Amino acid sequence: MSNSTVHGAIGRRTVLKAGLALGAMQIASPFVIKALGEEPIKIGLDDTFTGTYAVLGRNEQIGCELAVDEINKKGGILGRQVQLLSEDSTSTDTGTAVQKAHKLIDRDKVNFFLGNVNSAMALALGDVTAQAGVLHIVTGGHTDAVTGTDCHWNVFRVCNTTRMETNSVSKLLFDKFGKKWYFLTPDYAFGHTLQQGFEASLKKFGGTEVGASLTPLGSTDFSSYLIKAQSANPDVIIVLEAGQDAVNCLKQAVQFGLDKKFHIAGAQQELEVLEGLPPNARIGTWVFEWYWNQPNVPHVNEFVASIKKINNGKVPTARHWFGYAATWTCALIANEKKTLKAETLAKGLENFQLPPEVALMPDKVFYRAGDHQLMPDLYVGHAVEKGSTEEDLFHVDQIVKGEEAAPPVSETGCHIKWPQT
Amino acid sequence: MTQLILYDAFNGLIVGAFYALMALGLSLILNLSGVINFAHGGFLAIGAYIAFTLIPYVGFWGALVIAPALTGIFGLIIERLLIRPLYGRDPLYSLLLTFGLAFMFEDGTRYIWGPSTLPFSVPDWLNEPLSGQYFFLTGYRLFMVALVSLTVIVLFVLLTRTRLGVRIRAGTLDLETVSVLGVNVRILRSLNFGLGIYMAGLAGVLAAGMLGLQPTIGSDLIMPSFVAVIIGGLGSLPGTLVGGLLIGVASGLTTVWFPSASEAVIYVLMALVLLVRPRGLFGEEGRF
Repeated sequence: MSNSTVHGAIGRRTVLKAGLALGAMQIASPFVIKALGEEPIKIGLDDTFTGTYAVLGRNEQIGCELAVDEINKKGGILGRQVQLLSEDSTSTDTGTAVQKAHKLIDRDKVNFFLGNVNSAMALALGDVTAQAGVLHIVTGGHTDAVTGTDCHWNVFRVCNTTRMETNSVSKLLFDKFGKKWYFLTPDYAFGHTLQQGFEASLKKFGGTEVGASLTPLGSTDFSSYLIKAQSANPDVIIVLEAGQDAVNCLKQAVQFGLDKKFHIAGAQQELEVLEGLPPNARIGTWVFEWYWNQPNVPHVNEFVASIKKINNGKVPTARHWFGYAATWTCALIANEKKTLKAETLAKGLENFQLPPEVALMPDKVFYRAGDHQLMPDLYVGHAVEKGSTEEDLFHVDQIVKGEEAAPPVSETGCHIKWPQT
Repeated sequence: MTQLILYDAFNGLIVGAFYALMALGLSLILNLSGVINFAHGGFLAIGAYIAFTLIPYVGFWGALVIAPALTGIFGLIIERLLIRPLYGRDPLYSLLLTFGLAFMFEDGTRYIWGPSTLPFSVPDWLNEPLSGQYFFLTGYRLFMVALVSLTVIVLFVLLTRTRLGVRIRAGTLDLETVSVLGVNVRILRSLNFGLGIYMAGLAGVLAAGMLGLQPTIGSDLIMPSFVAVIIGGLGSLPGTLVGGLLIGVASGLTTVWFPSASEAVIYVLMALVLLVRPRGLFGEEGRF
């Protein structure tokens, strides 16, 4: 029995060797460099390419790549070619995200900085880029503070705040589906701020919160939370889960038949989640931040066709658009101001309107002065089992302008301090 | 409130039964071969993805039969090629190997089937609630419990009533003597490993019916299974079964009062068991 069990002596050296191997694995994470050229303009993307948010981060990267390709074909930035440097921040380790940001800024000397999907990382990276004085566009981190209490002169954001998302859908839910709401909320910053947003709307309209369950991030079994939600007998169950948690939660809610008794709704919903659900679980009222099927909006079809070419034939999601719009923002403002000086560019971006071929939305899309938050359209609608095509899984019921959904700058808590010159 | 507690305890039992299915596979391999199979979650994911691929051709029921068997065969190949050469060495080698395999399986499934979550459907009649009014139970969960119970019964009959089972149990106690008595230990270990991986594959198909199918599905479920093995006691299959059920119920009941601790409670339970009874509830003294 000498070698059949695990009680054999494990030597100190063996443990050290194992530790060394594990350490080496941490360093060897994906590292992508594209299109080397002479003195190109460098755009650094620090985003989530591994872990829970890997798909979202990768989709943002594809959007950035398409934009870089288009920018280079149109003459680059200030006549120089553009190069995208991508670094994996991981999905959950903010320390790694910050370390990669220092690498991009200090070693690679990037001219522009983009990222991140994870809200906590977006906040931490904002501090790093503000100190370094690099123009930073946050692609996909939604928590309010990024363009609220923790805003910076150099930080702009393409995706919406959580408050914009909840404001855009609250009235519809209240008027159409009822005033007693139950929340299923992921237990971290993103979920908490979404719930606070809905609670504020509920208070304003005179509704009742009949209960809430905080679910740990990465939960697999939601039955206990669904039991609690059912016993509270709400009109609407507000599901604030995201990513894989949302897939698991909705799939199980349908298996328990909750969709037949209550209305299921929430704020942010993504095509990536609806695609992962079996058809009968594609239910509920949600907010999309961008949608590919907009037949009457100019340039959308061209964008969809371009992304499909580099995305295994799949249509773009909001994440692709975030990366695309963020990258184009850098080129547009630098070419307009004819400089790479971050402060001049940041001032130029205040109230800067995206052209239709980048905005890809029906209304005016601009970066608001005061908090540097993009004011895009929000698409409120419902999930469908199958639409016009296999990838048409959302029906837009109404489009809400960002300006109407966003609270005024005075309520965001943002006070921008420009550098002393 | 009483109704809520009863519902949660009952659903906890169901989830626990699922953990037990995974944990039994782990336990089988650990007991006989001394391999701490970190790649068990990876095998689970492979089982689920194979089923997803087969469903358009053979339907859910066909996939439920074929996918675990294919996963088991894949397990046999991995055992023959990679794990067997390490039996004579320090256990840390096989631990590191399976640790690496877990990453390779996860990235392999991502490479073949893509990183996005795939829509895994189960037959409509299983997808219905049995009675939302009086009992909070879905057809699919009842089916899972039935299948896990059947698997456990078959496993225990196999281990107690067949020659192979008796040899596996004897090998668990003293492999050297079993070998001296003329039993081909290599084949015994291979079959045992294949059986363990078959159970991982079966757990994978069941999990994909309830959760979203994506490459990390296995790693999300592997930790509770390890906890079930430790709580139940190393070396004891009935202990593993009880361990699985126990953590399911503990997690379910915690959500009644303190939902955000529902994941953490199983580790607290493990710590308590280790403090009070280090060998686990049914573990043999001095083993491991």
